[in-house]
Amino acid sequence: MQKDQIIEELATGRMSRRQFNQKLIALGATMVTIPLGSKMANAGSDDHPTVFTWEGWEVPELHQPYIGKHGQSPNFAIFGDEEEAFAKMRAGFKVDLTQPCSYKVPIWKDAGILQPMDPSRLSNWSDIIPALKTIPGTFDGDKQYFIPTDWGLTSVLYRADLAPEYVGNETWGMLWDPKYKGRLSMSDSLIDGVMVAAIYIGAKDPFNMTDAEMEKTRASLKEQLPLMRYYWTSPADIEQALASGELVAASAWNSSYAALKKEGLDVRYTSPKEGAMTWVCGFCLMTDHDPAKLDKIYEYVDAYASVESGVFALTEYGYGHGNMKAFAQVEKDQPGLLKELGYSTNVNETLDAGIFQAPMGNEPALQAMFEEVKAGL
Amino acid sequence: MKTSSTTAPHHNSGISLARLFQTSEAVRGYTLLSPTLLALLLGLAMPLAVLFTLSFWIQDYLDFIRTFSLKNYIDFFQKPIYGKILIKSIRMSGLVTLATVLLAYPMAYFIAFRIQHNKLIWLILITVPFWTSYLLRVFAWKLMLGYNGVINSGLKTLGFISEPLEFLLYNPAAVMITLAHAWAAFAILPIYVSLEKIDRSLLEAARDLGENAFITFVRVTLPLSLPGVIAASLLVFIPTVGDYVTPSLVGGPSGIMIGNIIQSMFGKALNWPLGAAISVISMLTVALMISLFLWGTQSFRRKVA
Repeated sequence: MQKDQIIEELATGRMSRRQFNQKLIALGATMVTIPLGSKMANAGSDDHPTVFTWEGWEVPELHQPYIGKHGQSPNFAIFGDEEEAFAKMRAGFKVDLTQPCSYKVPIWKDAGILQPMDPSRLSNWSDIIPALKTIPGTFDGDKQYFIPTDWGLTSVLYRADLAPEYVGNETWGMLWDPKYKGRLSMSDSLIDGVMVAAIYIGAKDPFNMTDAEMEKTRASLKEQLPLMRYYWTSPADIEQALASGELVAASAWNSSYAALKKEGLDVRYTSPKEGAMTWVCGFCLMTDHDPAKLDKIYEYVDAYASVESGVFALTEYGYGHGNMKAFAQVEKDQPGLLKELGYSTNVNETLDAGIFQAPMGNEPALQAMFEEVKAGL
Repeated sequence: MKTSSTTAPHHNSGISLARLFQTSEAVRGYTLLSPTLLALLLGLAMPLAVLFTLSFWIQDYLDFIRTFSLKNYIDFFQKPIYGKILIKSIRMSGLVTLATVLLAYPMAYFIAFRIQHNKLIWLILITVPFWTSYLLRVFAWKLMLGYNGVINSGLKTLGFISEPLEFLLYNPAAVMITLAHAWAAFAILPIYVSLEKIDRSLLEAARDLGENAFITFVRVTLPLSLPGVIAASLLVFIPTVGDYVTPSLVGGPSGIMIGNIIQSMFGKALNWPLGAAISVISMLTVALMISLFLWGTQSFRRKVA
């Protein structure tokens, strides 16, 4: 075999420099052309839009009607968080549709990358929960910049077997309990991290704090720092650590609760007495979208907003869905599941109980404060 | 008049360019260099110029105020966080470099002096772990040091501990261990090359003249292999100061480095000019540290040799 021959020649030093270089050139040429092959194979989806979204939200189950009509999914690009997505899109990364959370819409709109959408082109628009359509900052008069499709909670997820004293006495304060030093974690973000501290200290409006409240938040974050195992950046971080017992409690999204519950762990997703946070994410149309793909873009959004997608999001991820009929469907198919996942059968009741995430005033100052706290200052 | 004035210089310049090419060695040299030079200019010099310019602007919500300002540099020195983290990063990278070179030297020495046949195979074997992605190697250390990781479960099975040790992961030490391993190949190879080049008769001469093995190493082998040690130190120190993947994966809150701060400025904090200024300052600091290091090794060489 040629491979053995090459190794033999290399080992015995019989290969000349020139021969060796020839082999290297061949290897280099092969490596360069490999990506070409796979790109050509993908050429078929060039007439489908590109959707820039969160990991896990691109699965086929969440847009079956689109696949039913076109026989394939659109193209996807994945972001880890919205700041990363924003930086990429402003640097010229071209996508047609993106799926941020509502509190980011005003700043993205200001940057001129979003364009209003026409809800009348969506057959499922009338079934979207009305409270989600009127989040401040996501619309401008009758211009709708945001089609809400997903929502859920940010709350404390904890191991009831390891911290039984908190059952029935749930509070954000669990994340400040010195008893569990080094076994707590909070999200490494402003909206799901620093805002938790703001709610914990009892800020009147956590998203627009006074200077005094800012200082109180800083103090509480400093108090919390030595108790933290780490600040998490991906749900997988806390899911594995809670499963192994490395962590006792962490701030989390519904999907982590659903995942750990499925593994049979004794975890609880709390309704903290200070109030859990509610987030809403949905679709935004990019200003520089490809106009030729506009029909497919609306078809994709409509497919995502369908009842069947909603049932999948609820049962598999534990996330709320924009389509209110999905809740009734789940309650009919699997009675009791909604309650287990932390939702009331009356959707509005759940929404009213939480604190809606809103655009944060003075984000740069909050970020600077958070960096300083993390650096131990 | 008109025709002569337009054609004559053109004609002349054609001749002079060709002549210049034939007579001037410098022009021929630059022409030969030009593809590389162009790539360097476009890929290295221009981004640096952009970074430098950016550092003198100011972020205003989503836009830049494009007038010259020293605000970012003043911010850097006024707020204690940036300087503190830069110093911490340099200290951590310094320790990583020291550890890497100390571990790499014996390995390179062994291959250069003790292995007689199939040296290439040995070198390939040493670099095999580095054929995997950098990220995988970082994750491998996460598995080693983790709560239910290899070390903890090993100690638990042997009965040395009853509860997993929590201090292994998510601190500066974990970052330094990971970096020292991840960059080892970059230290072994240059040291090996410089050891391999040493004329063996010099070592024999030193022993013939009555030096013992240790003094021979200190006065002959070490000074002669110093270029490799210097190259290895630079190859490890420079990239690790600015690394941000490793600290963000295994560092925890206490293990963050200057790269994490810069990354956050360009991302979450949305303050590119300040990020650029921090980058410029850390580049200058690294350059200063390297100058000090080179000056130090130079004087060591003069003293010993």
